[in-house]
Amino acid sequence: MNRTLMKVLATVALFAFAAGAQAQETVIWWDFLGGGDGIRMKKLLEDFNAEHKDTIEVQATTLDWGVPFYTKVQTSAAVGEGPDIMTYHTSRIPLAVSQSTLAEITADDMTAMGLSQDTFAAATWDAVHVDGKQWAVPFDTHPIVLYYNKDKLTAAGLIGADGLPAGLNGIDNFKAALKKIQESGTKWGISTVTADGNFSFRTIYSLLCQQDGVVLSDGKWLDGDNVQKLENSVKVVADWVTEGYSPSYTDYPATVALFTSGTSAMMINGVWEVPTMVDLEKQGKLFNWGAIELPVFFNHPCTYEDSHAFAIPNNTGKTVTPEKHAAVLEVIKWMEAHSLFWATAGHIPANSAVTETAEYKAMQPQATYAVLTANGIFDPKSKYAGVASPLFDAAGNAFTAAINGETTPTEAVAEMKEILDALE
Amino acid sequence: MTATTAEVSAGEGRTLRFFDVGSVLLTILTVICALIWFFPLYWALITSIKPEDEVVRPFSGLIPENPTLNGYIYVITHSNIGIWYLNSTITALSITFLVVLMGICCGYAISQLRFPGRMALWWIILASFMIPVPALIVNHFIIIAGVKLLNTHLGIILPQLIAPVTVIVYKQFFDSVPRDFREAAVMDGANEFQLLFRIFLPMNWGVTTALAIITFIGAWNAFLWPFLATKTEDMMTVTVGITEVQDTFGVAYARVLAGAVMAGLPVALVYLIFQRRVTQAIMLSAGIKG
Amino acid sequence: MLKSRRNEILVAAMLVAPFIAIYGWLFVYPTVQMIRLSFTDAPLIGEGAWIGLENYVKLFTDKVYRTAVWNTSYFVLLTVIPGTAVALAIALVVSRLRGYAQSLVLAAFFLPYVLPVTVVYLIWNWLFDVQFGILQSVIEPIMGQPVNVWRRIPWFMPTVALVTIWWTNGFSILLFLAGLRNISHEIYEAAELDGAKRGQVFWKITWPLIWPVTVLCLTIQLILQLKIFDQVYLFSLGGRTAQTMVLVQYIFDQAFVHNDGGYGATVAVSLFIIVVAFSVLQFQGLRARGER
Repeated sequence: MNRTLMKVLATVALFAFAAGAQAQETVIWWDFLGGGDGIRMKKLLEDFNAEHKDTIEVQATTLDWGVPFYTKVQTSAAVGEGPDIMTYHTSRIPLAVSQSTLAEITADDMTAMGLSQDTFAAATWDAVHVDGKQWAVPFDTHPIVLYYNKDKLTAAGLIGADGLPAGLNGIDNFKAALKKIQESGTKWGISTVTADGNFSFRTIYSLLCQQDGVVLSDGKWLDGDNVQKLENSVKVVADWVTEGYSPSYTDYPATVALFTSGTSAMMINGVWEVPTMVDLEKQGKLFNWGAIELPVFFNHPCTYEDSHAFAIPNNTGKTVTPEKHAAVLEVIKWMEAHSLFWATAGHIPANSAVTETAEYKAMQPQATYAVLTANGIFDPKSKYAGVASPLFDAAGNAFTAAINGETTPTEAVAEMKEILDALE
Repeated sequence: MTATTAEVSAGEGRTLRFFDVGSVLLTILTVICALIWFFPLYWALITSIKPEDEVVRPFSGLIPENPTLNGYIYVITHSNIGIWYLNSTITALSITFLVVLMGICCGYAISQLRFPGRMALWWIILASFMIPVPALIVNHFIIIAGVKLLNTHLGIILPQLIAPVTVIVYKQFFDSVPRDFREAAVMDGANEFQLLFRIFLPMNWGVTTALAIITFIGAWNAFLWPFLATKTEDMMTVTVGITEVQDTFGVAYARVLAGAVMAGLPVALVYLIFQRRVTQAIMLSAGIKG
Repeated sequence: MLKSRRNEILVAAMLVAPFIAIYGWLFVYPTVQMIRLSFTDAPLIGEGAWIGLENYVKLFTDKVYRTAVWNTSYFVLLTVIPGTAVALAIALVVSRLRGYAQSLVLAAFFLPYVLPVTVVYLIWNWLFDVQFGILQSVIEPIMGQPVNVWRRIPWFMPTVALVTIWWTNGFSILLFLAGLRNISHEIYEAAELDGAKRGQVFWKITWPLIWPVTVLCLTIQLILQLKIFDQVYLFSLGGRTAQTMVLVQYIFDQAFVHNDGGYGATVAVSLFIIVVAFSVLQFQGLRARGER
């Protein structure tokens, strides 16, 4: 009895020793991905850990999207307790760099990962650079798109010969289309996030771009006729609400629910809701649907997009071992190579090697809207812009009121300019 | 005598009948108010055991048609609620133990012993009620970060150990212990520690349990500091963790509410079991603020 | 004699040492630091330069700060007096019950108090959910359409106040119950024999005798609600934070989100001053009226 016990203990000890002998790197990972994104990213992380058993283990934590995430990153990095790797919005990189939150990605790093400038689209590549230095590795781009209920649009005669929506370009045409939809029995022509001005900002910003307007030019905010162009953009969305085509004060979950339940025939939302639609469709709970680039309301197509990237925090006072650094780079490299699966979350992979494959080109509706990256526009490159930035806040506070008819677009834009001009 | 009694009873009978109707109505009103007050909890509980499609049905009923534990199962299997429970238990129990112990020791010293600075200490403790502790979160963060205790149990516990109320309550209770006890024990040769732990404390056991329970509930429910001090899911307390859970589930109300129920259930049970003690503790801690 | 005196001091020192250590390190020291920090331009972590009263001057021109002060005051107005009145009313009717019935009814009113704020948040978020919240079926007929109470400015504070009263009333109810119990039954009997009506009994007997408890309740509630943060932060997440800001939230916002530790400390000091001023004023005022 005693001897058997000793033998068992010895064997266990031997195994433990053997396992411990292979030094395993632990990579602490923070992201803000929830919902459909979160499920898919968790799967990717599981696959990575399975493939890299005994060498690298990623320990992931998901924090609340937006201000909570970025505040935690900032405060943690400042005391040297940030993660080893994190997801980051490229729109926020200039702000992060100004606060020394990020560690630089060197040319050697890129070579080690087998990536280069050619891997990425020009705009995306530019988005991760500040003052000529690289601060993150792009993972995807995610624009906003127009989701539509094909059945309802067909009933209203808005589907063209190619099976895609037609007659939506132009502000008045679009309104007429919304009217037709509502006349044929749908409660709301379109649902968008009207309760949060900083979400609607993406639509408004797209419309501004369609008029060739900019928010920031030569260090000046809303210079010249950009004020009028921004007012025009806000007015488009505000009119939908005041004229009864879109419900007011609708928050994010409600916006999605309205569309999936058929109460609204169209929805402007990010591509990340594609998996929601796909999953519902698989369960047989969804109508015929599709997603296309935002219609042209003004002069030319243009759509807001942001990008998820991998960044390495600059943990004050902490030195990163070469092994840890190599492990982090390995994680990024693997993720980039496997970003085809990430495309099922609706996002457009940044890695062109993936987007060039036949499999990606066959994905629907991804393939339909992937073309819009040619007409995509990122946030202004400023330390005041990006997710959870002063610009983001200002939009939330100024635009929510205007969209829901509390104030006029003119007042809202004036308020926005006032806030922006006051930024130091 | 008999006549007067008869008059009085007749008089009472009349007024009694009048009061009866009003009285009954008032009691009914009270019960209705209590039900209304309880409704949000009831509704949350009911929703958490409904299947998702029944939850979002218009005119979803007050009694679930197809009760299910799916929400709870999902929360248990897909979130770190087990770890959160562990963290909450460890931190809440530690805080309770330490706060009560420090309260006993310090309250005893101020009450029974004479030492330089005694009154000054007492006044500082009383005055400290006016300083809003939430205003100190910035400095707490800097200090705890400075000693590298962020995202650790100790880091969560330390700022929550500030509880002048406990000291004050104990001081008052120890004050009210008759001096004879003390004198007799001193004459028997007891030292201060024996006095404290063998005489004074056992005499105030009720107070101790009351304060312990109320401290535990307070520690379990703490939000702002644990929210600031934790960064990874494996360190969050259940109170902080369930707000992270919202996003993970997308729009699934039954699950979210199942998480809420699970988070609130321990303290609710503690209250229901120890109702009298909790009541007593509240009255105690308020009694000294007046 | 001297020896036992020294012994006494030594023992006392040992007993108070842990408390003083914690108190000094995590209460007195941060308070002093907070005041010092408010005169610098330091970020959250790290040193900053001394800038004197610059931060304090900034307070006066800061629109969001003014909003925070206004919102906090508004919130106090909505919760302190109505909350105390509701608590007294409930205590009055509960005190009429006896035994098991009373325990049960009291539990219903008190249970919310023991719940964490996040649980309260999730429950009421669900109740008021724009699409499926059961309370919308009460709001919709009155307003014509469902109302997103957390995003519509005129609705936000009153709703958060309502939730707060629901959540914290149990405490005040207990205080009033204790106070009511202290009123001798004989006084009521005497009044009944004199033929006093219910209203007279309340205003002439109960109200004056319960006054000390009322004062206590108002004071506690006032100091408590000036420090409001949790509920407002949670319910306004993702919304129009500039317009729903309250003071403690602004400290958090400036220090942690905007990385301006110095200014955050300034707001904290201002809150401290407001709390002290309010509580002293109110206490004196109510005491004076009580002694009339």
